Amino acid sequence: MRIVLDNVRATRGEWSLSASGTIHKGINLINGPVGSGKSTLALMLAGLFSPASGHIRREEISSLMISFQNPEYHITGSTLEEECYSWGLDPCSVLPSVNLTGKKTDSPLRLSRGELKMLHLALVLAGHYDLLILDEPFSSLDCSGKERICRSLSERSQGITVIFTHEQTTFPRVDRIWEIQGGALLDRGNLPEALGHWYYAPKVIKKLISSGKTPKNITPADLLEVACRT
Amino acid sequence: MQDVRIRIGIAAILSGAAFFTIEGALAAFIWWLVISHPLEVLKRIRVVFPIIIMIVFFSIIMEITGGGGLAYSIRMIVILLIGMWVYCEHRKGEFLHLGTWLFGDRGGFELGMLAEMGMQSLDILSSDFLQIRQAQELKGVRWGVRSLIPTGIILVHGTLRRADDAAELMAVRGYTRGGTFCPEFTTTTRDILESLFALCMVIISFVIASEFFILYR
Repeated sequence: MRIVLDNVRATRGEWSLSASGTIHKGINLINGPVGSGKSTLALMLAGLFSPASGHIRREEISSLMISFQNPEYHITGSTLEEECYSWGLDPCSVLPSVNLTGKKTDSPLRLSRGELKMLHLALVLAGHYDLLILDEPFSSLDCSGKERICRSLSERSQGITVIFTHEQTTFPRVDRIWEIQGGALLDRGNLPEALGHWYYAPKVIKKLISSGKTPKNITPADLLEVACRT
Repeated sequence: MQDVRIRIGIAAILSGAAFFTIEGALAAFIWWLVISHPLEVLKRIRVVFPIIIMIVFFSIIMEITGGGGLAYSIRMIVILLIGMWVYCEHRKGEFLHLGTWLFGDRGGFELGMLAEMGMQSLDILSSDFLQIRQAQELKGVRWGVRSLIPTGIILVHGTLRRADDAAELMAVRGYTRGGTFCPEFTTTTRDILESLFALCMVIISFVIASEFFILYR
């Protein structure tokens, strides 16, 4: 199970993005600043946007799901209950997990953006997909929401998960780090080795590494553990 | 076409001709085929196809219930195609130039600004529509009347929310009414030739229509 990016190039006017490499099973974090082409690459990986040149091969992947930055795009139910059923899930198990018990009959569009994002991610993460692409999953979430999603993501063991984010504070456990820098997708390698080459790494990680303390991973618990290490 | 005044003028004349007679619609269609780079227009605005299907659907109902459906669908589709051409040729800010040139710094400025905001909304609606369809397909929802309802609700909800945000932002920035603006336009020889071609097509269509009525009498 893997995705092979063979000299892929996307262009839009003067802007361009090139990508080569192989994305393997596990949790892959693709980091990059705003406007670097993360969403475009996410669409290309999902087969929803054709590259100007090159090929993307999705090998042994029979089911895929992409979570767009805007959770409204995914709504097909007129109530929260219907929305859960539309993903093949029981509202009685999903809604309490995102503190929406008692809102079964409310319209999803009446939720705040953060609540809707939490519900949408809970629904997506409850599914079993060979390839799961999450475009900015932490946008609109508060700290506790981010931590909850990170815990859920860290528990994922099946298939390929690709997280596109410019997040700088809360991360799940990841297996490999990629970043978009200077119009190209760069493979920084597996953790913890990748941390030393991570250009857009959060300040706290850079500071820890410069002081000779390399965390095992980038979850809040890993960072706290290494920061408290004497 | 560079000059927005000529472009909107042509669109109004051709749409009027297409609305009133079937000959006018055919003349406008020929003009559209020759001038507008039809393949590029259709490729860029794919949402035109579901709208055409909707027009054809209502035309069939009209044809069955009272007649005239075929003529209605031809005329409406041509008007839609002319509208698509105007949309594809649009350059940011030009409706503000046009509005101010037509009606001055107060009403004209506001009208132009509203038209610009409308065009911006159309761009966003078009990309929203595409992403909603993609999300629905991945969820296994088939394209049809049932999927059209949530799509419409999401699009309307998003548009209203953005309009609300824009209104609040403008109020916060102190906007009340009107504005100062110096409209500028560039007119090329091509613009004039294309507008003359459009006028010729409309005149020919009216001549053919009047000849037909003389013969009919």
